[in-house]
Amino acid sequence: MSNAKTFFRPSKYLRPSDLAEAVKLLAEYGEKARLIAGGTDVLVEKDSKVEVLIDVMGLGLDYIETDDHGVRIGAATTFAEIEASPALGKSPYNILAQAAHQIGTPQIRNLATIGGNICSAVPSADSAPPLLTLDATVSISGSAGERSMEVSDFFLDARKNALERDELLTEIQLPVFPARTEAVFVKKGRVAAADLATVNVAVRLTMSADGICQDVRIALGAVAPTPVRAKVAESMLQGKKPQDELLEKVAEQASKEIKPISDVRGSAEYRQILSHVLVERALKEAVARLSG
Amino acid sequence: MVSIMLNVNGEEYDITVAPYYTLCDVLRDRLGFTEVKKGCGSGECGACTVLVDGKAVNSCLTLAVRANGRQITTVKGLSKDGKLHPLQKKFIEHGAIQCGYCTPGMILAAKALLDSHPHPSEQEVRMAISGNLCRCTGYQQIVEAIMAAAAET
Repeated sequence: MSNAKTFFRPSKYLRPSDLAEAVKLLAEYGEKARLIAGGTDVLVEKDSKVEVLIDVMGLGLDYIETDDHGVRIGAATTFAEIEASPALGKSPYNILAQAAHQIGTPQIRNLATIGGNICSAVPSADSAPPLLTLDATVSISGSAGERSMEVSDFFLDARKNALERDELLTEIQLPVFPARTEAVFVKKGRVAAADLATVNVAVRLTMSADGICQDVRIALGAVAPTPVRAKVAESMLQGKKPQDELLEKVAEQASKEIKPISDVRGSAEYRQILSHVLVERALKEAVARLSG
Repeated sequence: MVSIMLNVNGEEYDITVAPYYTLCDVLRDRLGFTEVKKGCGSGECGACTVLVDGKAVNSCLTLAVRANGRQITTVKGLSKDGKLHPLQKKFIEHGAIQCGYCTPGMILAAKALLDSHPHPSEQEVRMAISGNLCRCTGYQQIVEAIMAAAAET
C-alpha cells in the first residue's frame, strides 16, 4: 500500500494524555520509540528502525502565553499558530512569526511544530537563529525530572540535540526586552517556498535613546553543524552607533565565524558570501525599523 | 491494527489501519477517494492536500490514526447536490486545469484561504498556493480563477 522502497513500519502508535505517561513510555521503549509531533520530519525520514510511535500532540503542549517574564511557547505549537499569534506580534518576538512564515508551505505549517523543528537539530532549522537572538531557554522533562537550558546549549551537533533517551522538550521561554528592540530574520533558499535555507540569518538590536547599540545578537543557520552566534561580530557593534560603514564591517566579520559546507543547496564559497550579504541586510533593516 | 473513524465529506467510515498508514493511502486505496492525488509522498508538491478540520495539510504526511474522529474534506466535498463550488467553476472557466493532477490539492488550498480571507490580494493567493506545484499552467490562470471565485463568494 505505501511506498515499498522504504520500510517505515512501526507496530505501535501510542498517544499518552499526560507528560508523566509520555516519559514512562519513552523510558519503557527506549531505542524502539520515536516521538511524533507534526510528523513532517518523521514521515519524510521513514526510519525503518522505528517500532513505536509516541504522539506528543495530546499532552497540552500547544500554547503561547504571555506573562511578566516574557512569552512561553509550548513545544507542540504549530508554525501556523506562531505565524498568526497576537502574542508574538510585537517586536522583537515578531521575528519568530517572520521565520515561521517562511518555513515549508502553508500545509506544512499547519502540521509542523516548533519543538519538532528544534529537536531535529538540523543546521538549517529556521526557528533556531531567531531563538538564539531572543536568548531563548527551553524546558525538558524526563525520568530524572525537569531541567532547562539555553537554546544554544541544546544543539550539540548536526541532527544531535541534548535530550536523553527518556526526555522530551516541553516549552520554549522568551524573556522580556526593553523598548527600542527590533529583530529581523532573513532566509535564502533556492526557491521562495518549500525549501531548506541555503543560509538563514537572525539579528536583534536594542538601542539606547541616544542611538547606541546596547545589545547585539547575530545568529546564522545552515552554515555550520549547528546554528551559531557570530560573537566577535556582535562585540564589534556593541556600544557603538550603527553607521552603515560599521555594519558592513560587522557583516563581513560575521561571515568569517562560520564553517559552511558545499551541498545541493550551495557551495561553501557561496554560503560565505551570502552570509555576509544577509547579515548586512538584516542589520540595516533592524536599524531602519529602530529609526523609523 | 488500530480501529479508527474517519469523517470524509460528511460521511463516517469505520476502518482498521496499521499505525504507519498515511491518510493519503487510506483515502485513495482503502476508501476509494482517488480524487486525492499522490505526487511526491513527502510533502513538497501539495497534490495530496486535503482539509482536516478546515486546515489544509499534506495527507501524505498525516498518519491515518492521527485523523481519527476529524472532519476530512476532499475536493469532491466542495460540490453540493451536483452543483459546483465557485472555485471549481472558476477553475474550469479560466483554463486553470490542464492535466488536472494538481487541481484537487490546489482547489483545497484555495478553499482554506477563502475560508479565512474571503477577499485576498493576489499576493495572498500566491502565498496560499505556494505549497502546490503545477507543471502545466504556469499558475497565472489558477491565480485568476481563485481571485474570480473570491469575487463571487
